Amino acid sequence: MINMEAVVKRFGASTVLDGVNLVVAPGEVVAILGASGSGKSTLVRCVNGLEKLDGGSITVDGHDVSDAKQLRAARKCSATVFQLFNLYPHMTAVQNVALAPVEVLKVPRRQAEADARTLLASVGLAERADAFPSQLSGGQRQRVGICRALAMQPRYLLLDEVTSALDPEMTAEVLAILARLAASGTTMVFVTHEIAFAREIASRIVFLDQGRLLVDLPTAQFFAPDGGLALPRIAQFLAKMTIT
Amino acid sequence: MRFTDFTPYDLVLLLQGLGVSAGLFVASTLLGGILGLSWALLRYYRVPVLAQLAAALAELLKNSPVLVQLFLVFFGLPVLLQSDLTPVQAALITLSGNTAAFLYVIAVSSIDAVGREQLETARVFGMNRWQVLRHVVAPQAAAFAMGPLTGLLVNQLQVTSLISVVGVLDLTKIGVILNLRTLKPFIVWTVVGLLYYGMAKLIARLCGALEHRLRAHSAWRGS
Repeated sequence: MINMEAVVKRFGASTVLDGVNLVVAPGEVVAILGASGSGKSTLVRCVNGLEKLDGGSITVDGHDVSDAKQLRAARKCSATVFQLFNLYPHMTAVQNVALAPVEVLKVPRRQAEADARTLLASVGLAERADAFPSQLSGGQRQRVGICRALAMQPRYLLLDEVTSALDPEMTAEVLAILARLAASGTTMVFVTHEIAFAREIASRIVFLDQGRLLVDLPTAQFFAPDGGLALPRIAQFLAKMTIT
Repeated sequence: MRFTDFTPYDLVLLLQGLGVSAGLFVASTLLGGILGLSWALLRYYRVPVLAQLAAALAELLKNSPVLVQLFLVFFGLPVLLQSDLTPVQAALITLSGNTAAFLYVIAVSSIDAVGREQLETARVFGMNRWQVLRHVVAPQAAAFAMGPLTGLLVNQLQVTSLISVVGVLDLTKIGVILNLRTLKPFIVWTVVGLLYYGMAKLIARLCGALEHRLRAHSAWRGS
């Protein structure tokens, strides 16, 4: 369980997260929506310990991310896929995927690399397993990024706008993989601008507005006229997003 | 045969001088390399006091003439330590310190050149600072460092010629001796110069080959 309580994050004078409460239980697929600058990515970066909290607390399976020792344990429970992939450029796809399992989970290298190949094959990259990131397309890079996260066998998969650097075709290939993961019961927290996709795979939708959690509703209810759409801010947001 | 003529033995002398220069260059590069890298590690691990000391020392060494440093070590250090220093020892200490200072600067800037997001990613995946350094930072930083490092090494090779003034029988000192005897400066210094040139080219070649390997990942091989 990921438990966020009254999370506050400030950058200088601006308050990016202003008392966010959110609980994610195993098996859930939670989509975080909101305009740019609403604090979505920052929230994910707080969960994996990349940003220090200015208030409130976050625990991942009981491990407090504000405590240096517990953060290590918390980080083992989750894995992150990044907007700009953040692959290690000097390593092949297999090496990118196998590095953390070998170093952190102490899986024997041969085994980790064999597992990595299996994972890469499962996202259609069997042929590209020994390519360097610079030799892969954006969509292929992000698929490697997803494999790298999955190789850690995380209980929670954190996805930070994983398709926003991709063109529609590449976006589709990455979303197809995420849809499959969601269907297989992987717990996911994903920040996205792909409304249709969130509607398709999320079990819950959370809407952030200027650092505040505006609504937290089951997906069907969020899109219902008497649910999330009843709120002017959300209706306005969805209207804009579906036009573009 | 007149005493000003060249003899086959002069060739042996030149090769000996070449050996001394090359030996001092290699030894001071290794020692300076270890020293400079450990200073950079102090900074990477943010070791209090020691990291600042290393930075200050590097600052002093890289902003003062090597010749002045050499005199300080050769004439000053024995007074301070109450014991003699051979010219070779003094040369080794001075050159190693100087190489260390510049290597520190190259190492620090190369480490800083590795993208912040790379560090974040590795940390998020649970790796500790050493694992991040070893697997993510060092391989990329090494590739970034090769260009400036080649320049530094070629320059440090030329700098070894300064040690002739304290009496080390390096290539330059041999040149001085031959020049005084034969009174044929144009020939002597051309040969000496060409020998340095040859060594410098060799260093550049080796560094180039290493850089090529370290940058294998970004070479264009078609997709």
